[in-house]
Amino acid sequence: MDSKVIPLDALDDVITDGDSVALGGAWLCNHPMAAVRQLIRAKRRDLRLMTLIGSADAELLLASGAVSELTFSMVTLEAFGLAPSLRRGAESGSLKLVELTALSMEAGLDAAGRNIPFMPYPGLGAPPTSDLVARHPDIYGFVTNPFTDETELVVRAIRSRVVIVHALRADRLGNAHFDGTFGMDDDLVKAADVVIVTCEEIVPTEVIRADPHMTKIPAFLVHHVIEAPFGAHPTSHVPRYSFDAPELLRYAEIAGAGGEALAAYVDQIASESEDDYRRRVIGDRAKVLAEIGNQAKILQGAR
Amino acid sequence: MSDFTPAELMVCRIASEMDETGVTVLGSFTPLAYAAYMLAKLTHAPDAYMVGYNAMDMPPVELAFMGSEAAAYRGSTARWGFLRAVNVVHLANRGNVEAVSSAQIDQNASINLSVIGNYDSPKVRLPGGVGAPEVVQNYRTMLAYFGRHDRRILTERVDFATGGRYPISADARAARGLQAGPVKIITPMAVLIKRFDERPFAIESVHCGATVTDVVENTGFSLDVPNVVPTTTAPTSEQLQLLRDTIDPFGTIQFDFMSGTERIQYLRQVIELEWERAAAAVAARENQH
Repeated sequence: MDSKVIPLDALDDVITDGDSVALGGAWLCNHPMAAVRQLIRAKRRDLRLMTLIGSADAELLLASGAVSELTFSMVTLEAFGLAPSLRRGAESGSLKLVELTALSMEAGLDAAGRNIPFMPYPGLGAPPTSDLVARHPDIYGFVTNPFTDETELVVRAIRSRVVIVHALRADRLGNAHFDGTFGMDDDLVKAADVVIVTCEEIVPTEVIRADPHMTKIPAFLVHHVIEAPFGAHPTSHVPRYSFDAPELLRYAEIAGAGGEALAAYVDQIASESEDDYRRRVIGDRAKVLAEIGNQAKILQGAR
Repeated sequence: MSDFTPAELMVCRIASEMDETGVTVLGSFTPLAYAAYMLAKLTHAPDAYMVGYNAMDMPPVELAFMGSEAAAYRGSTARWGFLRAVNVVHLANRGNVEAVSSAQIDQNASINLSVIGNYDSPKVRLPGGVGAPEVVQNYRTMLAYFGRHDRRILTERVDFATGGRYPISADARAARGLQAGPVKIITPMAVLIKRFDERPFAIESVHCGATVTDVVENTGFSLDVPNVVPTTTAPTSEQLQLLRDTIDPFGTIQFDFMSGTERIQYLRQVIELEWERAAAAVAARENQH
């Protein structure tokens, strides 16, 4: 089989305006940010974006104007505050939101991955405790349990056309190792037609075989492999680097202010290559980002 | 060491909910709750099973802003994807403790993490509830904590119910195959508890320095007030020392009590401290070579 390896900028041909795209990662961890930056360089518009627990991934794409619809359970900059571009889109009514509870969203993605039309979902109780259920009759529904005649909540299969996740390393066919946070990336990749794995480094298959227990995504699910060092920055990729708090704080302040400052931040990313981004934002700071995790202490029992 | 902050008292109160059965899950950024879990692991519940990120059985870690995630993996005993973890823990009656923090809570124990105002044209769009709806519905005890105690937060009816808990009464829960346990609200003033669907929240205890009147006046729904309201157990000096010196040297538990501006100033300081610590380690290693 030919290699599935493509350069980052080949994403421009894989994802088009109006596409549906799911992104991996969770909180401030391991979002496929190099791919996000490439979507901004390609000036994509009208994307239907999906992120389970989003942060800088959704926020930056929203800030660039690339997104017309967002499916999510949470988008936040955590310690750095509410996501300013989510707020603007939601509060102005310009952004279509499909807000789901995280676990029901996972159940819907699981259904898609297993080729099941919908999944029974008792996790929200009966009657459902979340107002989100009534807001999305196209995703949440009710069926009669054939064995008890009770009414049961179900979640429809949820899928996207494209999914992008970021791995520690992958071989040329897409067998992908993860060590630290991978969220639900291993299951997310089953719920899309086109699966893209970006990774810190592409390695010979022998390297994958040496630690097969680290392979969370098997090659047969993967369509494209992209080498993208620091590809999750400014979110984390454990064990390679922590999230970049100074950069996220800088972003949060600029995005909070909005207007020209935010437009300039986005334009800078749109106008530079990924190599230039790494040189400009990371540079010598790479060593410290790599060390921060080693310095955080595991605490020994007091007794 | 008799002086302690409301945040420290709340950490100790949440920690007392943890035991060595069931699973404790670190949810989204809730430093006060994280500190409580670490404290329980270092004191009365060393074998409590804790999940953070994809790290199963993570060890207690120092609460650093950037580095804690990596430390969680270094000491864990397994890696599970989210889907497996939520199916086995949250949705299959193995969730014990995960204290959630939301923008509002109401008399029915519904929580709001979605919007302030109208859903379609909100005054403030909030982050969304992530797994909180399932946590509060399914965990043994529903624990909700707040950095303030006022009538806008503890309100008669939330603007939007991102999640909630129904039923609450133990027998009704048991009949549905749910773990039976109450709802507890932990604030800087008091602990409130709801055991029955048909009864209001009651005052379980009031913290040293607050009065029953303060609690009633600052709560936006009616409360059952017992004849005798105990004072919340104060932290021990051992707990305070562990918390301050070992678990939370950067003071992250104060975060929920700060204004937006204070948070930015505080973040700038602690990020610099953590950055400098790592930079010094890098420099020391390079000097050796």
